[in-house]
Amino acid sequence: MAAILKLFGILKKYIQGADQIMVPANITVRQAITTLHIPPEIVALVVVNGNQQSKEYIIQNDDEIKLLAIMGGGR
Amino acid sequence: MRLYVDSTRCSGCKACLVACSLNLFQENNPKKSALVILPHFPAPGNYEVKTCTQCGDCAQVCPMEAIKVNERGAYYVDMDECNLCEACVSECPEGVMFIRSELADTAWKCDLCGDCVTVCGTGALWIAETETAVA
Amino acid sequence: MNGYGGSVLRVNLSTGQIQKQPTPQDVARDFLGGRGFGIYFLTKEVPPKADPFGQENKMIISSGPFSGLMIPGAGKCDWTTKSPLTGGYASASLGGHFTAELKYAGLDSIILEGISPKPVYLFIDDNQVELRDASHLWGKGSITVEKELKEQYGEEYQIATIGPAGENGVLFAHINHDYGRQAGRGGVGAVLGTKKVKAIVLHGTKSIPVADLPAYRQAGINLFKACKDAEILKEWQSYGTTMVVSWCDEVGALPTRNFTAGSFEDGKNLYGPVMRKTIVVSDKGCFACPSPCGKYSHTRRYNTYVEGPEYETIGMLGSDLGLGNIEDVAQANLLCDDLGIDTISTGGVIAWAMECFERGIFTKKDTDGLELKFGNAQAVFALIEKIARKDGFGALLAEGVKRASQKTGQGSEKFAIHVKGMEQSAYATHNATAMLLAYMTCDVGAHHNRAWAITYDIQVGREKVTTEKVARVIWLQNFRPMFDVLGACRLQWVELSIDRDLYLPALQAITGIPRSWKDLETVGERIWNLTRLYWIREIDGFGREWDLPAPRFYEDAPKTGATAGQITRFEDVQKLLDYYYEQRGWSKNGIPTPETIARLNLEQFVY
Repeated sequence: MAAILKLFGILKKYIQGADQIMVPANITVRQAITTLHIPPEIVALVVVNGNQQSKEYIIQNDDEIKLLAIMGGGR
Repeated sequence: MRLYVDSTRCSGCKACLVACSLNLFQENNPKKSALVILPHFPAPGNYEVKTCTQCGDCAQVCPMEAIKVNERGAYYVDMDECNLCEACVSECPEGVMFIRSELADTAWKCDLCGDCVTVCGTGALWIAETETAVA
Repeated sequence: MNGYGGSVLRVNLSTGQIQKQPTPQDVARDFLGGRGFGIYFLTKEVPPKADPFGQENKMIISSGPFSGLMIPGAGKCDWTTKSPLTGGYASASLGGHFTAELKYAGLDSIILEGISPKPVYLFIDDNQVELRDASHLWGKGSITVEKELKEQYGEEYQIATIGPAGENGVLFAHINHDYGRQAGRGGVGAVLGTKKVKAIVLHGTKSIPVADLPAYRQAGINLFKACKDAEILKEWQSYGTTMVVSWCDEVGALPTRNFTAGSFEDGKNLYGPVMRKTIVVSDKGCFACPSPCGKYSHTRRYNTYVEGPEYETIGMLGSDLGLGNIEDVAQANLLCDDLGIDTISTGGVIAWAMECFERGIFTKKDTDGLELKFGNAQAVFALIEKIARKDGFGALLAEGVKRASQKTGQGSEKFAIHVKGMEQSAYATHNATAMLLAYMTCDVGAHHNRAWAITYDIQVGREKVTTEKVARVIWLQNFRPMFDVLGACRLQWVELSIDRDLYLPALQAITGIPRSWKDLETVGERIWNLTRLYWIREIDGFGREWDLPAPRFYEDAPKTGATAGQITRFEDVQKLLDYYYEQRGWSKNGIPTPETIARLNLEQFVY
């Protein structure tokens, strides 16, 4: 029981520059984020299988979850 | 090959029109482009896009034989040979043959350059093999 | 002139005289276009202390060198005037297709002077320019007027129009275009209204010259490709700015009940996905935009169509009024658009009035019988109409929250949420010091778009007061105006995070003049300082005190939500200003020093 977590922008540094990581199902996105030591407030957007979801969304088996960092220009 | 459009994805930005005029006339002028975007506002609030299907009806009726086929297999207007008779304009079933004599001394149409597809951010436009009609 | 329409159109409404002048090359070099042209002409041509509603004030409408070209988001038009709301500088940015059409008509700026003796609309069709009778349009809503004019002239004609509020001189009246795009802030619509200009009808068929066509084409395509490759493009297209509602709610930045909190218990009903699912019918983009943020909506409850609501409107007409239903917010949005008032300021004044009502400062006797409690959608709709018509209680609110609170007194000034007389837009800044400073120092009043620093606050520590934070705000204030100056949207850079260096080859190929970002940021800094000099010139005693935020952000910590108990200390507010003035090269009172003025070649503007 697992799902794919894809990270973008400044979030990649929390998984040593990788693009994605497997996370277990049946926990919330917020729990997955905190386990990776990512401050939840820098995650602007959670997209699960193409739809925006809240951080309280409970991860299901085989979900594809995109986490996007807050933007604001400056690259 | 021909240009296809999914009007429901069009957001009316007209980037395609500028790209088109740059290719056809080397000018920045959406009034000289070969697509049509019809906005339907305030209701029902959507855009309708007309593109060339490369049906060739325009070439059939051109008395000057100025509408030819290019290396991409698309009908295009040989601008030196057009006499502005407008036969093609009334023949075009999609309304995408253009003559605006105040803007150019020639008719014009889509020559399938593909630049509109390149700049379309919403994926409303694409080029694919022409589907053959089932008899 | 490559990259430019080539002419400035001057219309004297008092005499009917119309003339065209070549766009001055030295002004194009020093100020580029758009917002740069606006402040240049405003400072040069409108005499000091002019009455914003008088003969001497002008409306300056400008495109930039990117406008109308194959550059992502090249659809931004600047409207500069002396603000009737603040008494200082107003510059409102309009999206849609107006700025591109301006260039196709061979124009870079339109300068409207004087006051017409009767209602008119300005008609421009390439070289044909006329003032036409608008008596049949006077009194009508923006949406109706645009529809009538499009039916008369055709879809290719671009229309900008004011609603009844602009005619009535509501101090935050706006200009509407393309059924839902606005030049929103500072009362630009009221200036047009007092000039008796109901609309501008614009059509152009000219080609815009560029210096190096193949290089420009390639640079343009590279920019579009970068946008299309952006990681966030799909989500941005789905939700637009409403994407950040949930995040703002989570971090306590979503204005709630007149900024008493930054999280809203019904916020979930206003989030992007809810809106997309319940009311959005299509995506609507400005000129050449690959990432259309415009969401066009239909409400079932009211059977109405409206562009939006976008984030600011959701914040100001939604959570800040305690409205937790997206259809109600959309309906309030439509009323504002059609009647011609800015949704941000409208939300701000109504939120203030609601707080007054709940505190007992106003009763139903004052409010024409309206039960002005937070969450009362029907009262909001009624009040929007009253404001636009300056009817009864609405007349007080039509003056903006600063004047209304000064007239009302009873301590209501303390919770009038504005800077320099402009209502604060939709970021709660109890504990976000960079964003707070951005609002304090913004050159039109409390507006977010000059430096959207809220994400930086969250990244580096929201309560921190450091020189680095201040430097970041200044850099954003110098750099972001470049988009307003070039006549393009900043959101491809801000939200899609495309590499800003991709713009430079495009600018060079278009104008034929190489420019670096360092050079362009100096232009931005020049414009920033010139707008500051304008405030100093217009308002006697202008200085540090004018940069202070609403007391709510250093006195009233929220009791609920993500920022409950959090507040910025007043000494930190002062510290932010100290750092800011020092880094800007301004005095302790916020006045640019002679050295700063000399460094930026601004001596000619000092009176």
